[in-house]
Amino acid sequence: MAEVVLENLSKSFGDTVGVEDISMRIPDGAFVVILGPTGAGKTTTLRLIAGLEAPDQGDIFINGQSVLALNPAQRDVTVVFQQYSLYPHLSVRENLAFPLRSPLLKTPQEEIDRKIKEVAEVLHIEHKLDNKAVELSGGEMQRVAIGRALVREPNIYLMDEPLSSLDAKLRAELRIELKRIHQSLGATLLYVTHDQIEAMSMATHIGVLQNGKLVQFGSPREIYNNPVSQYVAERLGSPRINVLPADLFGNAPKGAKTIGLRTEHIVLGRGVKGRVNRVEHLGDHTRLHMSLAGNDLIVVMDPHNPVSRGDTLAISPENPIYFDANGIRVL
Amino acid sequence: MSSSPMECAAKVTPRPLANSIRGLSDRGIAWLFVAPTIFLLLAINIFPLIWTIYLSFTNFRANRIGREVKFIGLRNYERILSDPDIWQTMQATAHFLLWTLFFQVLIGFTLAWLINRKFKGNDMWTTIIVLPMMLSPAVVGNFWKFLYHPQTGLFNYVVQFFTGVDSSSFSMIGDVSLAPWAIVIVDTWMWTPFVMLICLAGLRSIPDYLYEAASVDRASKWRQFWTITIPMVLPFLMLAVLFRGIENFKMFDLVVQLTGGGPGSITELTSINLKREAFEKWRTGYASAYAVILFVTVFGLASIYVKALNKVKER
Repeated sequence: MAEVVLENLSKSFGDTVGVEDISMRIPDGAFVVILGPTGAGKTTTLRLIAGLEAPDQGDIFINGQSVLALNPAQRDVTVVFQQYSLYPHLSVRENLAFPLRSPLLKTPQEEIDRKIKEVAEVLHIEHKLDNKAVELSGGEMQRVAIGRALVREPNIYLMDEPLSSLDAKLRAELRIELKRIHQSLGATLLYVTHDQIEAMSMATHIGVLQNGKLVQFGSPREIYNNPVSQYVAERLGSPRINVLPADLFGNAPKGAKTIGLRTEHIVLGRGVKGRVNRVEHLGDHTRLHMSLAGNDLIVVMDPHNPVSRGDTLAISPENPIYFDANGIRVL
Repeated sequence: MSSSPMECAAKVTPRPLANSIRGLSDRGIAWLFVAPTIFLLLAINIFPLIWTIYLSFTNFRANRIGREVKFIGLRNYERILSDPDIWQTMQATAHFLLWTLFFQVLIGFTLAWLINRKFKGNDMWTTIIVLPMMLSPAVVGNFWKFLYHPQTGLFNYVVQFFTGVDSSSFSMIGDVSLAPWAIVIVDTWMWTPFVMLICLAGLRSIPDYLYEAASVDRASKWRQFWTITIPMVLPFLMLAVLFRGIENFKMFDLVVQLTGGGPGSITELTSINLKREAFEKWRTGYASAYAVILFVTVFGLASIYVKALNKVKER
């Protein structure tokens, strides 16, 4: 396990900027989630740390030592790629054993067998161990790919949207399992995703990327409560933060162009009146899709409320977040 | 009122054809389309095969049409299998087949592996390498005859340059011990690009991320080569060997142009020998039995090989 520091890291692919001037400290034992939409530079960051790409500028330190001159094997990292990246001609067992058979590790056969058994149990693939990798479903393949990372104890685990191809139930199970592994091993993990539930439920730190730049880095709570911009605010929270004209409710601070209302920032029963357009009963809560002076917003209520489509509700903000014309937070 | 597309089609279809097709079932129409192909297949493949098998049990000679044809049972087969000259021919064919396959696979794969690397002029080199394969075998046979010429041929001078052996002291196609190698060299020169192209297709089908995963898994380049490259290219390589094996088993034109089967009959491969029996000695029945033996041999070997190939693919 190790501390990883990125220092002014930049990487371009021709005219396309991959990442630009990223600096980040991943503390030893941290579970860092990199959030951002497609093309934000998440995968590039991960590949730079793994040594699969060389930066144009900047440096990467693992345990205080620059690793720029080291190849992926020497950096002692594991990567779970977004595409399954299993060796198709090998069985699941051989795939899991592959990293352990490295001459650098010299793992005894009993140790290899024990680790494969452990990981297979955790990932529910014990019954597939003798199957060829190509005979597995997408979800099973990704579990094997995760397993191949877990059989080792590297400096850092790098995971590129590893749960994106799994069904909801398995995703929920593996989220818990990854968190448990992180806690029990004290492992350092860098996890790339655009799923904010994964980010909020597993991360000790979240880094938000925008067009290759790191725009905010902090704890999930900090990012959620104090986003530096509208872009960051929109990355976390379900339903997504409502963004409305700042003057809709009055009392907007100077320079504010929009007001950001998370569902917990909305008080019902007083203020500006809006119309309920749609009611979504989601079991443990109900979502109301409303229009308020020509603007759409979503409000969350308890599951047994009597509100129905066409009703009118009054709304007022409580501790809202304001943004200026550039989407930057106004304090 | 506008008519439907079907009605329009019916109007433009000539009446007699429309009437006759109307009476046919789907199956009947399907047979109508397939029939010409089946007829051609029967006429130029199946019938000659059956006729050859029949002739192989007779003493028929195609240059004596009026003579009575006698059924002689397995006598042709007995003669062929006990003829030392034919075994010598088989040996020459086996030598040619095994060494050409060995060199073509070795050099073809190495070239593919080198070409697969990203470097400037990659496409130009690929084009240059595949040029020999685009030439006619007869042309290749002829110009290599010039290249092998002891006095004027470039080949002997190159050998002299690298080894110091006097260029006029040996003749590649005139020497009994060198001629079998002369045909191996030419065939390898001509057909290695084919093996290279198939191997290249195999190498390019391996996704980069597998190598990336392996490098992260701390596999050395050597281990990556043996555990990723070779197993994933093997089905392609085996396919190339199958194609080249079948082609070289029936090799004729190139060797006839180059050595004519000589010196003596040292480079007389089975197909050349067969042609001599059939169209120079006019022993048609005997040659038919010879052809049947060759057919069974190629078919048997190819079947075993295809089974092995399928097993490799399933692995």
